[in-house]
Amino acid sequence: MVATEQRRRPLPSSSPLIRRLSQSLLVLPAYQALPSVADAPPAFTEVGLRYTRYSEDSIDRDAVIFGATDRYDIDITQLWIEAPVGASWSVALDVQNDYQTGASPWFVGAQQNGEPGVIMSGASIQDNRVEVGVTTRYFWADGNAGLSVSHSDEDDYEALALALDASWNTADDARTWTASVSSSRDTLNPTQGVIPVFISEADLDTQSGYFGVSQILSRTAIARIGVNYTYSEGYLSDPYKLRDQRPDTHERIALSAGYRHFFIDRDAALQVDYRYYADSWGTDSHTLELGWAQNLSRSLITPYLRYYSQREADFFSVIADTSALDYADDYRLSSYGAVTIGARWAIAVNGAWSLEFEAERYMSDASWGLFGGDSAPALVDFWRGTVGVTWRFD
Amino acid sequence: MTAQWRMYLAMALMVSMWGCGTTEVVAPFERGHLAEQGMQWQSSSRNEKLKGHVYTSKEASSGGTGAAGGGCGCN
Repeated sequence: MVATEQRRRPLPSSSPLIRRLSQSLLVLPAYQALPSVADAPPAFTEVGLRYTRYSEDSIDRDAVIFGATDRYDIDITQLWIEAPVGASWSVALDVQNDYQTGASPWFVGAQQNGEPGVIMSGASIQDNRVEVGVTTRYFWADGNAGLSVSHSDEDDYEALALALDASWNTADDARTWTASVSSSRDTLNPTQGVIPVFISEADLDTQSGYFGVSQILSRTAIARIGVNYTYSEGYLSDPYKLRDQRPDTHERIALSAGYRHFFIDRDAALQVDYRYYADSWGTDSHTLELGWAQNLSRSLITPYLRYYSQREADFFSVIADTSALDYADDYRLSSYGAVTIGARWAIAVNGAWSLEFEAERYMSDASWGLFGGDSAPALVDFWRGTVGVTWRFD
Repeated sequence: MTAQWRMYLAMALMVSMWGCGTTEVVAPFERGHLAEQGMQWQSSSRNEKLKGHVYTSKEASSGGTGAAGGGCGCN
């Protein structure tokens, strides 16, 4: 995603009084020493490193007809450097490496007892993805604009994306408008492995746009809404699934809303985010995320809860109907609900160094969804853990 | 109700809620609490990018807070 981000605020210092005073000063343009507002470049160079472990639970043996029960494990490393350039510019270089191993469902068939079962792809899949992105940003008195280019390369997939975003404030700085557009060109070169694939090369083009606005409601509350439209054309099927024939176009619209409220007596913020999504494949979904960001003496801890529910695509069936024009048995296109429970912990070690930790558990089940539909046998549960360190210097 | 009409309804509800909201004039020196890290829309752009990547590769939905970027062979 192209970030339409608010620039990061400094972590709270140990003194509540100093913290209040410094934060009041930070919103005044003359005191924007850190990259805390949208209208000033960062005053420091920042170097960061994050490591994330993503691990899917093994699939239930009773749901597997043939193949391994282990699923994907992914090791993700993110490295970045972001620096001011002159008085009005910044530039950032991001490098991300994903190394994944494991197996995924190949297709769904009927077991001897009549229940659907999964034939897995085998446990031999290994892949490495490297993504490199460069973002340059220009700041002026009432806003900023960024241009980013990213390139992602792995054994069987290559993507090149270009994005432009801008944010600008009203005269009283109480309202911020945000817009972004992007275009990407993806090329697939599926590799022949344990399972056969039936294409040698295919392309996918995607264009996307976002428009949103945030509004200060009071001294302790702010809200935003936004709309995102994305159009893809090209090869949209999964080449590693046996029974997967999807339309060659995909329109997607997402409406999002957010609300933040600071409780002074609790020294904490309530975070509420909602998204409604619908697409041309008949899928729509609701996503609600709640967080509680609690200030501590030198850190911020944020437990959060996310609920997600989607309606199945028009051409999805638990066992694919290959006589139809389009068909798929991919569990990701089925109706289900999912709950994520997690927590982030950001620690300011001193003025230069900060640490972050995050862990979350994702669980999905067809019966947790808001929409009707048959239960797919390969719904995924996973753990994700992240550790990170950031260093800022002049 | 088709997906198109559901989208129109959701859009109308959101705009209506936005229009019904009340705001007060907040001077710059009164915005200290709004500058708290917990009041930001995202914890960090790198974290949000990674989370979005994970969810998008495991769910049918995507988008909501910005324009889409390039894809991947994640399955």
